[in-house]
Amino acid sequence: MTPMIDVVFLLLIFFVWTASFQIVERQLPSHLDPPSAPAGTTSEVDLDQQDFDAVVVKIDWQADAPQWRLNGAQVSSLEMVRDRLTIIAGIRQEISVIIDPTAAVPLEHVIRAYDTGRSIGFSDIRFATTD
Amino acid sequence: MRLPVRDPSVGLGFNMTPMIDVVFLLIIFFLVSSHLARRENQLELPLPLAATGQEISDDQTRRLTLNVLDDGELLLAGRTVLPHQLAEELLQRGRSEPADLELRIRASRHVAYGAVSPILLDAARAGIWNVHFAVFDEE
Repeated sequence: MTPMIDVVFLLLIFFVWTASFQIVERQLPSHLDPPSAPAGTTSEVDLDQQDFDAVVVKIDWQADAPQWRLNGAQVSSLEMVRDRLTIIAGIRQEISVIIDPTAAVPLEHVIRAYDTGRSIGFSDIRFATTD
Repeated sequence: MRLPVRDPSVGLGFNMTPMIDVVFLLIIFFLVSSHLARRENQLELPLPLAATGQEISDDQTRRLTLNVLDDGELLLAGRTVLPHQLAEELLQRGRSEPADLELRIRASRHVAYGAVSPILLDAARAGIWNVHFAVFDEE
């Protein structure tokens, strides 16, 4: 029996070693095109124009910290952005949220903003890109 | 290892021990190699954190994984690609693959948005609208 027990212990150690150190990975779905638009198109939006069809969350990167702007108004932290967006969602849930980070913003903060919008319940969140 | 002593009166016995050894060795080998094969999609990256992450579905959707490393290097299906190659590759795949082709972006949380936004633009132009960001669950 001894060699078999040796091998079984070896297998046991192998499985314990491989199983425990992996962090579960999840995914955030995002739809690049609104379903109404034909595939393969991007729509041009003037993000500086104020309107009531979209909320623009601008993220700037200054002094190694993100600066948040909501439709042009400076907002001090992501928690404040969350509060404001929650109020907006209470009025119009179907409004588009456009996330417009500058090129220097680390992805971490962009995903946080996207995640915040998702957790509030907005269904139409888009990423702004510049050509 | 103590081998059983053959009793001449019973005849020629068959020694199973080496065969079992080899079979176990093969099992371990295949387990390890299959594990490494899966690792291609699981390159260790500091993914961004998010609270609303969904579980990765294990269905039959065609999936393309793009890793974006800390320094902005792009790895598409395990190969290094340059940004302009990526645009071509995505266009090609967008034409040849089914419409619900899923692009999974596994980007480091430290990479600048300026490196990610061209990918989104390329994907949208290629008609790949089903884009997922890989994230870790927020504690």
